Amino acid sequence: MDQKKSLSRRKFLGDAAAIGAIGALGVGAVVSSCSRRPTYVAPVFPDQAPDGRVLRAGVIGCGGRGTGAAMNFLNSGPNLEIAALGDVFQHRLDRCRNELKEKRSVDVPDDMCFTGFDAYRRVIDTDVDVVLLCEPPNFRPKSFEYAVQNRKHIFAEKPVGVDPVGIRQVMAAGRMAESAGLNVVTGTQRRHQRDYVKTFEMVKNGAIGDLVSANCYWNQSSLWFVRRQEGWTDMEAMLRDWVNWCWLSGDHIVEQHVHNIDVVNWFFEKHPVKGVGFGGRHRRPTGDQYDFFSVDFTFDDNRHMHSMCRQINGCANNVSEIIFGTKGYTNAQNTIWDYDGNVIWGYQYPIGDDGQPTGTVAVSPYDQEIINLVTAIRTGNYINETQNVSEACMTALMGRVSAYTGREVTWEEMMNSSMKLGPESLEMGSVDIPAVPPTPGTAAG
Amino acid sequence: MSKSRSTRRGRRYIIILPVILTALFLFLGDRIVRYTSTNEFCYACHSHPHAEESWRRSYHYDNRSGIYVQCAECHLPPPGNLKYLLAKAKHGANDVYGWLFKDPESINWEAKRTVEKAVRYTYDESCIKCHQNLFPMQLSQDGQQAHLYYSQHEDELSCLNCHLYVGHYSELVQEGIQFGVADEVEREVFTEPAVVADFVNFTEKIPGSSVGFEMVAIPGGTFKMGSPPDESYRRDDEGPVRDVEVSSFFMGRAQVSWDEFLAFYNATAAEGRQDNIYATNLGEVDAISGPTPPWGLPDQGWGMGSRPAITMTWYAAETYCRWLSAVTGRTYRLPTEAEWEYAARGGTEGAYFFEGDPRRFTRESLRNRIFGPDTAVISSYVIYRENSEARTQPPGYVRPNPFGLEHMLGNVFEFTGDWYAPDAYSLYPAGPVVNPVGPESGTERVIRGGSFNSDAVDVRVAARSQTRHAAWQMTDPQIPKSEWWYTDTREVGFRVVMEWEPGDQ
Repeated sequence: MDQKKSLSRRKFLGDAAAIGAIGALGVGAVVSSCSRRPTYVAPVFPDQAPDGRVLRAGVIGCGGRGTGAAMNFLNSGPNLEIAALGDVFQHRLDRCRNELKEKRSVDVPDDMCFTGFDAYRRVIDTDVDVVLLCEPPNFRPKSFEYAVQNRKHIFAEKPVGVDPVGIRQVMAAGRMAESAGLNVVTGTQRRHQRDYVKTFEMVKNGAIGDLVSANCYWNQSSLWFVRRQEGWTDMEAMLRDWVNWCWLSGDHIVEQHVHNIDVVNWFFEKHPVKGVGFGGRHRRPTGDQYDFFSVDFTFDDNRHMHSMCRQINGCANNVSEIIFGTKGYTNAQNTIWDYDGNVIWGYQYPIGDDGQPTGTVAVSPYDQEIINLVTAIRTGNYINETQNVSEACMTALMGRVSAYTGREVTWEEMMNSSMKLGPESLEMGSVDIPAVPPTPGTAAG
Repeated sequence: MSKSRSTRRGRRYIIILPVILTALFLFLGDRIVRYTSTNEFCYACHSHPHAEESWRRSYHYDNRSGIYVQCAECHLPPPGNLKYLLAKAKHGANDVYGWLFKDPESINWEAKRTVEKAVRYTYDESCIKCHQNLFPMQLSQDGQQAHLYYSQHEDELSCLNCHLYVGHYSELVQEGIQFGVADEVEREVFTEPAVVADFVNFTEKIPGSSVGFEMVAIPGGTFKMGSPPDESYRRDDEGPVRDVEVSSFFMGRAQVSWDEFLAFYNATAAEGRQDNIYATNLGEVDAISGPTPPWGLPDQGWGMGSRPAITMTWYAAETYCRWLSAVTGRTYRLPTEAEWEYAARGGTEGAYFFEGDPRRFTRESLRNRIFGPDTAVISSYVIYRENSEARTQPPGYVRPNPFGLEHMLGNVFEFTGDWYAPDAYSLYPAGPVVNPVGPESGTERVIRGGSFNSDAVDVRVAARSQTRHAAWQMTDPQIPKSEWWYTDTREVGFRVVMEWEPGDQ
């Protein structure tokens, strides 16, 4: 009975709208007086991508992550091939190629393997359908744009750039990808992690009330580094040690901590408009980066996110987010508490062989993100995460620049900044970038 | 029985008649709405010259895809909702009023083609209804960044900020124009500046160029700065009136022209964007780094030559003065606000340097709106809203002031060196003030004199205004925004002064 009534009401509204003027006058009032907060339903991710015509992928950047992404691609469904490889270094490419051969019996022929600084172009110039962009972040904007121009679907690792110029280039290329119908999935894989996605659904539907503030962390032990060896040029030494050079990685607040910042932006459904941060360096043996950052971000409505990240051995470690609402708080991943400390909701993990919840999601988020990309390509359910990841990177940049300079840095400033890091031309030679971290209060950025 | 039957029939009519009438009304209404949105219907009344011709020369008529975009497709919102009908009613009423009461010859159609005016009858929704894809593959890098900027500021920007002439062609659009590239004509290139031996008018020569400009000797003196409380249309920031003494100086007879500014641009223009221009330029004068190339047409397509240079930032004007000082070996700078007003008054104490009352000249009052403002006297001294044809004019169109200075009022606002503060005059210590330079700090600079777009009350000699840097930068689609050029801030230019010490030779 009720259903019938509401159907006829909907029909009436539809008719009224068709009449135009009358509809415009009446509908707004009727709808707003009857509306309730619509229930958000999180997407259900498939365990495997559906079958379809063969999709061939090219890997750009054949390091650990590139090799991993190639495996994830092969895992994600039937009829998927790794067809081309590109890396600056021959030894890196060979290692990836051998691993694919040994573990997955994938043989990438010689004429589909490219080395040097233009390897990205040569991979994209082949007939591959998809590119997996896993090179050091400085190079991402150029390869991203070139991939869009050549109509490739894209998996792009995070971050998508190390400076405002590069990130804006990706933002624009992402819009072009959208207009061309090219799917883009990015390596902020928490958005493809089933427990996070379910928690987002709970929060979006009001489980912790209105969001008030958030903290996020990536505090870990020191990361890897590579000391310079005899016979290496500046460029080779930097590339082999790329996670320790700001012009290559964006520093670890951008390169790594962007994951957690992205989660907060995701849950708040917006990005901060300014940030004040500080940071410093005590332990890092190579490069020009900081060891730690601490940033107070402010949203346009004056809510705050605090972010901290550190890479030093022997300190308290923590990689997580915590989001506070008016009614409770959540770790954004799997649990919601009220302010009396009671768990009011928990994510139901799959049950393992021992009859206990496994504590991990059924499909690894690294597989899931590629499954979701391939599914989008094959089903036509379009996906494009460029804007999200670009905003997260730009947020992290605000934090980095603020910490480096000591100044308050605004979103508007980043969107208008001409900062572009790295040498003018890329070649294996000397690079005039000293291994000196910036000094707050005097650094230009 | 028969009575009740006829009542029943009557009742039936009562029910059926409104239904028929409503159906008829909707049918006819729809036909009328459609018919009154055709080009033919528009042409029937719209007598503005060249509207149709300029449309036929525009991209919206003459394009590779062979599509015509009709009048109502841009000049009304997309059809199908109340906004469309309301807009149609509004423009229709406006057009009927104009048709009945206005002489099309007397309307300044050119003035209607500025962005501020055009956004009133051109709808972004309608642009976007057809141009749904702001990021097509063919879009240039500049276009991508501009559309990215637009997508972050949709509320503050209009498509027309960058695409003003796409629907009606304008001669002002000269594609591929090379800004600042000198013509081929051979002229004498000055190697030395003018010789200035005495405190008399002279013509400065800019070394390294063939450009000269006239400087007028302004003997120092005292005057009453500001406007008395009984001056019509006076604003609070024009007082209290102060006795001010200024020393002798030279002042440009006219506003700095494009010829002069381009001499600077061509000598110093920086090829690409540079960070830290402020720090660089604070140092040695020979290290002056000049403007970057502008994004659009800084002259707004009005032509350059002796027309006042416009669209530059205060910083660009100030750097011009330092460059001019360096190449001439003299001290050129922007005038202080006091010097400006002293020079503009030329010994007079009224609202203008000529006879007249703002109440007679303004269009703001109800009386003048009905009967028309008095333009006889003011028009012979000032380029302002009533006589400007919506753009700047070169020197020679109006009479100079008692010091022989031209365009001190109107044409373009002029940058001064002072920071703006509404209470600047009351901040000076009691008694006569000698060579005041304004507040020590601030965020915006004083601009003076009013412009071609000002009403008569805003070209009063005491009227004060200020820069609005952030707002004026808003329509610069470049990333980062230029520190040298605004894109469509067309009402501000500047004039130089040269310092003179009695012992100078």
